[in-house]
Amino acid sequence: MERNVCVIAGGMSKWGVREGSQRDFFQEAAKACYNDNPQLNPKDIDGLLVASAYTERTSYQTHLAPLVAEYAGIKPKNICARVELLCASGSSAIILGYSMIKSGQADIVMIAGGEKLYTPQKWEVFYSELASVDHDWDGAQGLGLPPPVFAMVAKQHMKQFGTKKEHLARISVKNRRNSATNPQAQFQKPVTMEEVMGAKMIVEPLTLFDCCPITDGAAAVVLAVEEKAKTMTDKPLVYIRGTAQASVNNMSANMPTWTTWEALKIAAAQAYRKSKIEAKDVDVAMTHDCFTISEIIEMEDLGFCKKGEGGSFVADGQNDLGGRVPTNTDGGLLGCGHPFGGTGIRQGIEVMKQLRGDATQQVPGAKIGLTHNLSGFIAAHTVLIYGREAA
Amino acid sequence: MTTPGISILEGRYMVTMDLFPQQSKEFNQIYPFYQYLREGRLTTTKCKDCSAEPFPPRVMCPECYSTNMEWVDWPTTATVVEVTEEVVGVPLGFGRAPLIHALIDLEGKKNFFVRIINCQAGELKAGDKVKLAVFDVDPVPQDMGREVVEIPRVFYAFEPVK
Repeated sequence: MERNVCVIAGGMSKWGVREGSQRDFFQEAAKACYNDNPQLNPKDIDGLLVASAYTERTSYQTHLAPLVAEYAGIKPKNICARVELLCASGSSAIILGYSMIKSGQADIVMIAGGEKLYTPQKWEVFYSELASVDHDWDGAQGLGLPPPVFAMVAKQHMKQFGTKKEHLARISVKNRRNSATNPQAQFQKPVTMEEVMGAKMIVEPLTLFDCCPITDGAAAVVLAVEEKAKTMTDKPLVYIRGTAQASVNNMSANMPTWTTWEALKIAAAQAYRKSKIEAKDVDVAMTHDCFTISEIIEMEDLGFCKKGEGGSFVADGQNDLGGRVPTNTDGGLLGCGHPFGGTGIRQGIEVMKQLRGDATQQVPGAKIGLTHNLSGFIAAHTVLIYGREAA
Repeated sequence: MTTPGISILEGRYMVTMDLFPQQSKEFNQIYPFYQYLREGRLTTTKCKDCSAEPFPPRVMCPECYSTNMEWVDWPTTATVVEVTEEVVGVPLGFGRAPLIHALIDLEGKKNFFVRIINCQAGELKAGDKVKLAVFDVDPVPQDMGREVVEIPRVFYAFEPVK
């Protein structure tokens, strides 16, 4: 018999420039997750996957999963391991947890992800980021987690398709307005078009509000096999319908094209096929807005609009509340911040709430939700499809 | 060298804090790349079986999976496809802002990211020619039996052709 997988609880710590340690944030996220579903007995969780990218660098801690299990008060018996794919670590762990339940290797799996990125001396954060791309080649050229890469993408997209700085700014304004409604988000204050357009330069053409910040924090969800999920929550069930992850290059020399993200198109096609849906069926999306230009390209390569029309799609409000596919309704990376391992899980939580019908900025009648992460040097793309019904 | 807050690390080398790759044969099988770089040559590995020229250089061909690789010279001049200047967030070790980044076309071989040095802010534009620039970086103190041997190192960027 087909085993279907549901998301039955989710919660996150406050994200931002936080006082505290990585292990503090994992406890806060676990507590928020348990609070989200009081019917869940944490002692029943039989698997734990922990997503964290910089744990060795900024917390000097490997073998993180048993530590998190100990602090979260759970004793996994089917899996207890860490997953790392930088910015997509959280989504990768959800995919693996889903696969374990689907295949019968586990029944109830917690996915927890997060980072303590701020170090006592701030220079170390930027220095550590050189490890995020191919360190010996692109990293040694001074590319970290890279505004310069996305600046180059933005320049080429502007040249090729006529995308304007105003289009980028619309994304900042939308996502910061959304994060202002999310008490867990790093940024609680909306920004105006004028503020965004007049902001200080980071890497031309990207200015301050085009770039997501550095963030401390954690998030957690619990997945369960459908039969058990039905007994463990009174809320509407949210299913994972299908997932995919693709990579076609890593180092800059092997990037096939800069303004069309091949790996994203591959991952999206795979995820849609497995989920038995098409792009037009997606009601709400959390996409990887690490930089404003990313969200524009994602609208195109996820198939929400035609190639090259991402700028006007956004400018027309088509990915805003009330539009064709409301995107980053909780504030996205630009508003919530981006503790790498936590982000895919944060996206999953917002989609879970949207499909349950209890999101702060609810998309009326949302039945299909999508999450997307890109990671590294735009080197891997991860797409998950959630639904009110199994695929 | 002192490391504030960690007095026991005074004078110690930490590979995890190094900006640049290891270049000795004990720690890197593609060490000839750096030897050639020292001679002003930009090289990669070519597969003797299928003629692919993957970059960065490899031990195994990613196209036909042969390990029958040889070193070949690549051009040392290129055309700038796009250029941008990083004003905020320049990592330690890459000088004062702005850090100039360019996507270059290496005479049809590959397009890739390089750091541009010996160049004023605002000077470089798309279509300009740039050339390989090799410079010394910190040597690595490497344990060799009871001795500590300093392994000299170089790295590369590109600079405007003037």
